[in-house]
Amino acid sequence: MATYLELSGHENITNWRRFLRGRFFSLSALLLPMFLIALWWLASARGWLPEQILPEPTYVLQTGRDMIASGELLYHAAVSLRRVIFGFAIGAVLGLALGIAMGLSARFEDYVKPTFLAFAQIPTLGWIPLLMLLVGIEETLKIIIIAKGALVPITLNTFSGIRSVPGKYVEVGKALRFSRWQTLRLIVLPGAIPSIFTGIRYGLTHAWTSLVGVELLASSEGLGYLLVWGRQMFWLDTVIIAMIVIGLIGFAMDKGLNGSEVFIQRWKKEGL
Amino acid sequence: MAAETSTRLVRIRRGLALPLLLLVAWEASGRLDLMDPRFLPAIEDVVRTAKREIIDNGLTGQLGASLLRNIAGFLIGCALGVSFGTLVAVTRLGDRLIMPTFNGLKQISLLAWIPLISVWFGFAEQAKVVFVALAAFIPIALNTYDGIKDAPAELVEVGRALRFRPWQRITKIYLPSALPTIATGIHLGLIYSWLATIGAEYFLAVGPGIGGLVIAGRERFDMALVMVGVIILGLVGFALNRLAGAAEARLLRWRA
Amino acid sequence: MKRAFLSRVAAGLALMLTASATVRAEEPLVIHVGYAAIGVDNRPYAEGTSAATARAGEFLEKEFAKDPNIKIEWTFFKGAGPAVNEGFANDQLDFAYQGDLPSLIGRANGLKTKYLLASGARKPLYLAVAKDSGIKSIADLKGRKIALQRGTNGHLAAVKVLEAHGLKERDAQVVNLDSAGTVAALTSKDIDAAFGDTQLINLAAKGAADVIYTTKGDDPRFGRNAGVIGRQAFIDAHPEITQRVVDAFVKAAQWSSDEPNRPALLELWHKSGTPVPILEEYFKGDTLAYRNSPLIDDLLVSQYKEQAAKSKEFGLIRRDVDLESWFEPRYLNSAIERFSLQNFWQAYGADGKPVAS
Repeated sequence: MATYLELSGHENITNWRRFLRGRFFSLSALLLPMFLIALWWLASARGWLPEQILPEPTYVLQTGRDMIASGELLYHAAVSLRRVIFGFAIGAVLGLALGIAMGLSARFEDYVKPTFLAFAQIPTLGWIPLLMLLVGIEETLKIIIIAKGALVPITLNTFSGIRSVPGKYVEVGKALRFSRWQTLRLIVLPGAIPSIFTGIRYGLTHAWTSLVGVELLASSEGLGYLLVWGRQMFWLDTVIIAMIVIGLIGFAMDKGLNGSEVFIQRWKKEGL
Repeated sequence: MAAETSTRLVRIRRGLALPLLLLVAWEASGRLDLMDPRFLPAIEDVVRTAKREIIDNGLTGQLGASLLRNIAGFLIGCALGVSFGTLVAVTRLGDRLIMPTFNGLKQISLLAWIPLISVWFGFAEQAKVVFVALAAFIPIALNTYDGIKDAPAELVEVGRALRFRPWQRITKIYLPSALPTIATGIHLGLIYSWLATIGAEYFLAVGPGIGGLVIAGRERFDMALVMVGVIILGLVGFALNRLAGAAEARLLRWRA
Repeated sequence: MKRAFLSRVAAGLALMLTASATVRAEEPLVIHVGYAAIGVDNRPYAEGTSAATARAGEFLEKEFAKDPNIKIEWTFFKGAGPAVNEGFANDQLDFAYQGDLPSLIGRANGLKTKYLLASGARKPLYLAVAKDSGIKSIADLKGRKIALQRGTNGHLAAVKVLEAHGLKERDAQVVNLDSAGTVAALTSKDIDAAFGDTQLINLAAKGAADVIYTTKGDDPRFGRNAGVIGRQAFIDAHPEITQRVVDAFVKAAQWSSDEPNRPALLELWHKSGTPVPILEEYFKGDTLAYRNSPLIDDLLVSQYKEQAAKSKEFGLIRRDVDLESWFEPRYLNSAIERFSLQNFWQAYGADGKPVAS
């Protein structure tokens, strides 16, 4: 990447233009939300919208502030995050292992994949009542469901990622007399990384959705619990705040994944 | 050729090994009372429950209700998704103004919308259909947008050179080139709409449906009923996946 | 070919238009009635209130039997009172049986409803604990896992009971479960205790849990109240139909308050799936007239006002509720006049003492 000083004057101006346009774009991105919020505020103030449909935006803001100040919001968010991180980690490790095993060994794939696919057809929500009967409604249930939610996309994408590595590359490894472990580390895994990341992205989204589902059904704490509580008591402001926090965390996780993918890709390129 | 067929047979045999083993273990557990029947009922109990539900309790009706909800919601979400995605991708204003908000809203987990939809649409079928439509809408709109945005520049140039009107540009250039991505979106939409159908039956008012059956089974501690319900959920999921794959292939063939 | 097709389409359209025209001429009306509970296994029946009698004995259907254009549609809600509020908010319900807290919550949120008659007032609340939970008294509930259905009148009564023993809702881990979910969770010991009513008595009778406390016999201010609520827009548009609906509920209340009817009443309520002995226990020691009275007397009004104040105090509702214009005894009084039931039920004053007639 050329440094600022090395660029010609013309290129500098173009960069500045691009920079300003970028800023403008991010500002214009806020236009619609601001307009909608203004409309919302107007509708509540003028009474166009009955308050049971949508409470005043200032009210929502106030409740949000109260919930942050009392630490309540942080507590529930932390509980949900802890569950997701734990469950996702388990699901990801299992998924990667399973995907790699199926990808590397055709024999293993033959034995395991059909059964795996059969179980994967059952939506995560469907597993919840079954598992409730087996393990109750405690933390275990939530972790298992979240892990299952992450497992399927990660396994399938890891598998297809490994299979997608062109045979030629593996041939090169053989020619260079790589050990199995070296082949895996230097050729197969790097080639599979884009797919693996897609799997991880889907897995995380699905894990987060599964968490909300489980917390909606049976929980005494967490963001899903806040949603239920708000719904039962007709506190739509609480519901909206919980939704916003869920969205923000989802967004942060996505961005985090993107960042780490870029980082790994760059590291991969430099390695080569 | 012979080697290929025999490899296929070998693979099929291998694939059946694990399921058969599980089935045998299950049957043995039932016969020999290895596991608490509350956790693992015998196979014949599950079959008996299935028979009972089909004959006495209108299981097919419940399944039909779920499927109808699913299809209705999916079709609405699909139509809205393609239209929305196209509109936003094709107009520069839509792109800049609307996409960021859409990207923000799509971060909110699907199930988190349930309380709001419940308050806004009440307890009747419409709330459930709206939820299913939302579930299908998001991936389809997103993929339509991505697909159109990725339209090769040369094709767009051709459209401009031939002085196509906007409608012609959409139908002759943008949509055809976006078709593979849209097809993926539709595949995802089908999967998510089935998930949403079950979610709607869990969390929005009581009504006919397989989701309700599974919940009822859980409340009654009837593991056999829960298993019947879960197996049906899986079968429908499988069928929908196949359908989606076939539709995807068909769309791609039509485009070529 | 094209012409034949077009003419067929035209004929079809004409048929549809005439059909809809004839339908419109008769103005069929569907009265949507809701009930903030549901029977065992999601059976569309309930128990323990005169509104449940109205449903099981088809009092509403009989009242409108001679009107072919008027249909009655009952909906039972697993989500109880809060779900009924969602129905009212969307104009999907015209009348509903609903408990005090959810009605107050609805009112506080601007739902335009009217309280037409009492039903299921003065219901007791029960506290059941899981087997081997070691909980002997309410004070032992501190820090334990309790199931409550939030937003229902049971929730408010539970909070009052906890407060009387020095506990706050936050002192326990509350899991929001509906009636069936509570039964399942108690049986599998996923929770330590639960507040509820007949389903808990049933569970104890089966030996799967222990009932350690009931508000029956305790301070009458712990009692739960409920009533038949009507959507104001419907009442304004169809006052005569509203009157007839109230008439039907009053007739059901009258039949439910007649002591000789007790066995038949319990049998009728059994349609919800709760065994008759459990219902007997639920009504033990209370006269039918006491529990099934539809009167909007001073006791009821003062109770509701107190519930409103308490709810605000507990943070369950967040603004003051205007109750002055909410009670609408006009239809009830007209029914009582016409059926000469003036002295059938005992009215109570705000101090809890019977009012001299």
